[in-house]
Amino acid sequence: MAEVAFIIIAAITLASAFFVVFSSNLMYSGVALFFTLFGVAGLYVFLYADFLAATQIMVYVGGIMVLILFGIMLTNKIASTDLRQANRGRFMAGLSAFILFLLISAIAVTTQWHTGSPQFLDTTVAKLGMMILYQYLLPFEVASILLLAALIGAALLSRKK
Amino acid sequence: MSNFSSIAFYLPELLLVLTILAVIVVDLIPGLKRFNWIIALAGIVFTGVLLYGDSGVSESLYLGTIASDPFAYFFKWIFLIAGFFTILVSRHTHALRGADLPEYNALLLIVVFGLFLMASATNLVTVYLGMIETVSLPSYVLAGILKNDRKSNEASLKYVIFGAFSSGLMVYGFSWLYGLTGSMSLSGIQQGLAGVQEPLALYMAILLVLAGFGYKISMVPFHFWTPDVYEGSPTPITGFLSVAPKAAGFAILMRFFYSVFTTNSLTTIAGVDWLTLIALLSAVTMTFGNLIALQQENVKRMLAFSSIAHAGYMLMALSILSPDAIKAVMVYLTMYLFMNMGAFFMVIFAENQLNAHTLEDWKGLGRKAPFLGALMVILMMSLTGLPPSAGFVGKLYLFAVVIASKKFYWLAIVGVLNSVVSLFYYFRIVKAMWLFSPADPKPVKADSVIGLSILLFTIPALLLGIYWTPIINLIDKSIGF
Amino acid sequence: MYTDFAPILIFIFFALLLIGALFVLQNIISPKQNKGGDKLNTYECGEVPEGSAWVKFNIRFYVVALIFIIFDVEILFMFPWAVVFQKVGLLALVEMLIFLLILIVGYAYVWVKDDLSWVKMTVRYGRGRYAPLQKKGSDS
Repeated sequence: MAEVAFIIIAAITLASAFFVVFSSNLMYSGVALFFTLFGVAGLYVFLYADFLAATQIMVYVGGIMVLILFGIMLTNKIASTDLRQANRGRFMAGLSAFILFLLISAIAVTTQWHTGSPQFLDTTVAKLGMMILYQYLLPFEVASILLLAALIGAALLSRKK
Repeated sequence: MSNFSSIAFYLPELLLVLTILAVIVVDLIPGLKRFNWIIALAGIVFTGVLLYGDSGVSESLYLGTIASDPFAYFFKWIFLIAGFFTILVSRHTHALRGADLPEYNALLLIVVFGLFLMASATNLVTVYLGMIETVSLPSYVLAGILKNDRKSNEASLKYVIFGAFSSGLMVYGFSWLYGLTGSMSLSGIQQGLAGVQEPLALYMAILLVLAGFGYKISMVPFHFWTPDVYEGSPTPITGFLSVAPKAAGFAILMRFFYSVFTTNSLTTIAGVDWLTLIALLSAVTMTFGNLIALQQENVKRMLAFSSIAHAGYMLMALSILSPDAIKAVMVYLTMYLFMNMGAFFMVIFAENQLNAHTLEDWKGLGRKAPFLGALMVILMMSLTGLPPSAGFVGKLYLFAVVIASKKFYWLAIVGVLNSVVSLFYYFRIVKAMWLFSPADPKPVKADSVIGLSILLFTIPALLLGIYWTPIINLIDKSIGF
Repeated sequence: MYTDFAPILIFIFFALLLIGALFVLQNIISPKQNKGGDKLNTYECGEVPEGSAWVKFNIRFYVVALIFIIFDVEILFMFPWAVVFQKVGLLALVEMLIFLLILIVGYAYVWVKDDLSWVKMTVRYGRGRYAPLQKKGSDS
């Protein structure tokens, strides 16, 4: 059952990702990205990363996606813009990307990865909470400075002048 | 060391954070607005005072996420000096008039804070957070702070796209390392890798990690952003970007590669020969940087390509696995701080007073401002690496390491040939300044702050070429991490 | 832990099923002729829509959305924190306060810099308490 669900979710993710890249309408690409991000959240669930999945939905599907659509809506002539890949070397690019993909997957499959003892995890939220309060306290506090920088930078650059 | 007791060793950074907050808050209070740059500068000075108290400390802080060690200590000084002068000079840069300087100062301080983190990171989380996030994110904004200047917009956009891409590659590489070892701390990864016999996966991880670090130090083939970002950014930011994040990039590169991909007995881990890879990249980087710099007419762009070439020179030493290599890179970075920032201050002067951007505009500058023109000759000499200048000493150490190791003779030859090539374009600037008579021979006077900054950076660029023992002594004490 | 998410999957499944079923159903029971004219309008008995729905947005939406995302991420950090808050106690409170304090500075920044005010209040002529609202550079 879980395998079937995984295959469906992975298929949705990949198919919509292809659509994002190959659609010539920016708006359709944007909406297709919605499904990709949602599918990735589903994949996180299969990796036992429940909090990450919720984060993905909250930040990416709920926030970034809206931002991307706003970004598209800010451009002129949204509907009539026809996006075509103007790159002449796209055959070579596709080929080398495919070879790279094969190479990486070959290495990834043959590698003996570090595996801990298998265990069925409970929810990760409490564990993450303890981690940001103890082991990763410094990165946690630095993250607020980073967010501050992002906030100021975003406000500064997007402000009309 | 536990989180609480680490605070005592983290005071410089804490003061820096307080300064950042103070600069932002002061900007919001109408009467106090104009003090924000004083606060920023004072914050840096007092951070330096607190940092001085950290000398000789070698502790792992915050449960191993960062380290306060002599190595980081040395680099923190470079960042403070670069940050201080960038803020100081920015106030007198005409191009930045009308820009939001309070935010500019705050963002610059955040970059400095991120650089501190980067130099002392010992955990994958802090490496990523310090390096890509806290350093890069404000840098993107700083590059594009001139909102009405299309080149500045372009610089910001290209910087973001390249930065996002290479940081993505780097984090992917981290995931490989974590997958191989199950550890996030650099020492843990090293121990984990010792037992791993997976050279292909390790090569993959090294390549991907190198993409992230290489982007920061603008190593070929991750250099594409450099010329456009350097040209489009406000010049003080260009000067800062060409020195401080590059130094931090080398700091993290050395720390990472020496404490992860190197065994304790100074051999490459699991027989993966990344040294040859670095040697090749070094040769390509310096050759590319120098050859393209030859054809540039825009002075900022030329210096951008020259900074790629300098990254190549420094990588040369990193292809040798020894403490001397680290020392040589640190020596070179010190010299580079003075000579390169000095050169960029000179560019600011030319832009301020004459609106000069290309070599054509620079013609006769030496006759109009003889003193500064003479200083620029020294800086160019130093960048080329001619004796007696700081650049010569820096190159001497780099080449000495490469030749002493007897491993990559060809690299030393490539390096020397490159230095000869660089002579051509550095002296094109000198030629333009001195061998042409200006159209308008009226002498120009520099803004006193900028003139003084150029002087302050030229003195060490010359002096350290004659008497460099103190720097070597300082660096000898700063190698441990 | 998968099983915790099963209801969501089932929910999504039924949502899709229901929508599909409705389409099929309406295809079956709707009259097959007279599909034209007003029937194909967006609102059959409402305003006649004009132009495309894809219009250029005001940049202010974007600014607000950007600021929203920052605080969205900030809130995310508070979930794990809230879960373990009782176990850790005062220390957790202090650590989160530091985190929030830094961000509140950012909040104050966007507030004072007028990025949050939707209607930019300006007046053309004004004295006394209206003086700060007077449009700068306006030809009065």
